[in-house]
Amino acid sequence: MSTPGGTDPRVAALEAELHGVKRREAEYRVKMVKEFLDRGERNTFLHILQHERAALIRREQEASADLEILTRKIEEAEARVASLEAELQAARAPKGSWGMTAIKPAASAGPAPRPMVPGAPFTYYLHTSPFRIYRDQAFTLRGWAWPEDGRPVTAVRVDLDGKLYPGRIGIDEPEVVARYGAQAHNPKPGFEITFETPAGRHAFSLEAQLAGVEWRSVMRTTIWCEPRAR
Amino acid sequence: MSGSDAQERWRTSRAPLGDRSNYKKVWEAQSEDGDVAALAVAGHTDEATLELTARGTIDMLKSTIGIDPSDVILEIGCGIGRVGLPLSKECLHWVGSDISSGMLKHAAARLASRPNTTLVELASVGLLELPADSFDVVYCTIVFMHLLEWDRFRYVEEAFRVLRPGGRCYVDNFTVDTETGWKIFMESYAYLIDRRPAHISMSSSREELRTYLVRAGFEDVKVHDLANGLIAATGRKPESAP
Repeated sequence: MSTPGGTDPRVAALEAELHGVKRREAEYRVKMVKEFLDRGERNTFLHILQHERAALIRREQEASADLEILTRKIEEAEARVASLEAELQAARAPKGSWGMTAIKPAASAGPAPRPMVPGAPFTYYLHTSPFRIYRDQAFTLRGWAWPEDGRPVTAVRVDLDGKLYPGRIGIDEPEVVARYGAQAHNPKPGFEITFETPAGRHAFSLEAQLAGVEWRSVMRTTIWCEPRAR
Repeated sequence: MSGSDAQERWRTSRAPLGDRSNYKKVWEAQSEDGDVAALAVAGHTDEATLELTARGTIDMLKSTIGIDPSDVILEIGCGIGRVGLPLSKECLHWVGSDISSGMLKHAAARLASRPNTTLVELASVGLLELPADSFDVVYCTIVFMHLLEWDRFRYVEEAFRVLRPGGRCYVDNFTVDTETGWKIFMESYAYLIDRRPAHISMSSSREELRTYLVRAGFEDVKVHDLANGLIAATGRKPESAP
């Protein structure tokens, strides 16, 4: 609360205290520098300063990363708000016989974290490179793969931040077979998977199911999605 | 044939320049084996030496253009991610670009633990895949020696485009007037004329690198003689760049 025509006395007191703390800190550092110089330990003092600088840089880096994470969360929250508002508008609209069908199902709360699928050595190639800036709403990954232990690939999928996108297998790759020879358990090693690419950074993993039993990661990387400005 | 046609015939003739400028083919071939890939882009195969040389590169970047924890950084020709792995720990986001998808496969495996990294495959010489005004730092190290001069300049021009106003650029190469540079030159000299590989190392001069940066529009252009015998040119994109 401020006094008429003046600063709140509590604020003034806090400012004075802060000023005092800063002054004491400065005096302490001056004294420390003098002591180091008196002892002829200039380099030791520089070393300490370098350490302090490195710690500050680390803190700044962590703060920047936190800021980015927070920004993404805000963007996600904004998208959710927009989606809910659209649902609300649709619900409030006069309902004809088809009125309710206009309401989209509520977005799921998001997949629960899934344990990371272990990797395995694969011979593979991706016709549509996953190494790109993703500019559209979705992307179709096409390629071929088989495990080096020769087991059959019985399914493929993409794991994007824990959300799974199943793909299609059994696509002919005659040029691959001509080069590497026929693969007894993977005669048609081609596959394709379409997955969504919402804005932001995502953990991407291309995974294959082997012999109908276990899933193994073919490759994983981080992808960056930044839709074109409209 | 008339003499007057000669000028036209000479202008339109297409003499093959070997595979040197077919960078995708050359570097996909180098990337087929993980160790060969590491050797081709870094001269070493063991992780400890890769880490050590990467630290050296990061020190060079810090001493010439500076690295800030809030920087979004692009490497042109990142190969297996030798520099990106440690550098991503010191910046906000590191983007590695390379013309070889095979190299990027190795890089993806090495960078799997680094969430603030992105890999981008380049279709050809240039950075068409990347948006303008997006990066604080663009650097290209141990790459120019494998490129023809026009392609070196193309990457400098493209670095200018993708940098934000005020962004910093770093490129390097070896030069023949240092002991290290002369050693690299003599290693290439030892090849038989008809056995020279497409990726053979070719030097730059200080004037060449400086000219590329000045012509591309950079300001505050400097050429540095580095401790490891390389030369580097650095510049800053003007704040008022269009």
